[in-house]
Amino acid sequence: MSLTHLNSRGEAHMVDVGDKAETRREAIAGGRIHMRSETLALLAEGGLPKGDVLATARIAGIQAAKKTHELIPLCHALALSKVEIRFEPDSANSCIEVTATCRLTGRTGVEMEALTAVSVACLTLYDMCKAVDKDMRIDGVRLLSKTGGKSGDYQRDEAVDSQDMSASALPAAQYQRHVSTDVRDMPMITGESPDGHISIAPRNEQPCVQVKLLAELRERLGISDVDIPFESLPSPTVAGLKQALRLHDERFSLLTERRVLCAVNQVMSADDMSLTDGDEVAFFPPVTGG
Amino acid sequence: MISVQTAPFDVGAEQRLLTRERTDIGAVVSFTGLVRDFNERPDVQALTLEHYPGMTERALRDIVTEAEGRWCLQGVRLIHRVGRLEPGDPIVMVAVASAHRRHAFEACDFIMDYLKTRAPFWKKEHTVSGQYWVAERNKDIEDAKRWEAT
Repeated sequence: MSLTHLNSRGEAHMVDVGDKAETRREAIAGGRIHMRSETLALLAEGGLPKGDVLATARIAGIQAAKKTHELIPLCHALALSKVEIRFEPDSANSCIEVTATCRLTGRTGVEMEALTAVSVACLTLYDMCKAVDKDMRIDGVRLLSKTGGKSGDYQRDEAVDSQDMSASALPAAQYQRHVSTDVRDMPMITGESPDGHISIAPRNEQPCVQVKLLAELRERLGISDVDIPFESLPSPTVAGLKQALRLHDERFSLLTERRVLCAVNQVMSADDMSLTDGDEVAFFPPVTGG
Repeated sequence: MISVQTAPFDVGAEQRLLTRERTDIGAVVSFTGLVRDFNERPDVQALTLEHYPGMTERALRDIVTEAEGRWCLQGVRLIHRVGRLEPGDPIVMVAVASAHRRHAFEACDFIMDYLKTRAPFWKKEHTVSGQYWVAERNKDIEDAKRWEAT
């Protein structure tokens, strides 16, 4: 078997994917961050100094998947149709299992995107918790499965891995069960929710954009969170999302009539910002703090 | 240190934390914002402050990082409260430490101007004659613009 990123002279090159057939491709990668049990407990109760740890790490992972081509030299820029980051705190092994699912219909695989998403989500967890725990360790970053494309499907056999990986690695069968039920159904932990806070909703199975409405907009519309199917967007941008919302409910015309600000994955964004499945898009009025 | 919290804070204690075990700090400037009993309407009885968890903390961190790039600072503590507050309650505190007073004064002023126009917080006022969301003020936008030319 030869390395596709090296040409006949052994030089690095980008693989020409123009002639490959477009297929639906999905990759799932996993990783793990070990921490002290007290750190894990603090994280679960939202008591860490940097705030909403899992919500921030999830967004960091999604952003990283979208930017993989900027980090890994020979990766193509891909229009991902879905990025999903899941966290499963494991108190028995004092760690958090992180999985990233990336999907697209296209000509290249998305395993690099899934691996990058897991890595950056783990690094963000480290950053968010390092004030209280510097002994954390990231390991087990690996491809779990891959489907679609010419090279065929791949499914990691975790039983083989567990011989040389840490004792907390889950056997394959057990992993499958976790993915199909526990992880998928687990809501994001967002910590304490006093007045004025909004929790992040459980992840949706259908490809969606998660819309959040804050402050006066939420009260006027009587809606705090709404998932808009990605397929219903006339164009995959913030402007397209506004159109889709208006079709969903005429009252969303508020979003274009007033001065309304928008953040995509918690970064201020304009109408032409592109969206992918799993993005968190918040609309809110001009800010009035201080 | 940046914190978004419901609990009240103690400005004296925060200042002591800023200067603890240090003798290279020559100036500490701190600003505390309080709930006023009049604003858009008279007789404000309470405020409700809302934020966008995650984004707000990051916006505050970005503002402090920018201040640290513009002035020589030896420490910043920034606390903003959320939830229900009543007239006289402290809402926000910025404490800036520097070797020299000018840097501390200017950085503190800058952080507050940017906080008011860039950090995702929203105020709702509860008054004798009803409740409403506070509108943005042009004065705040003008104040923040002062820092763009420099």
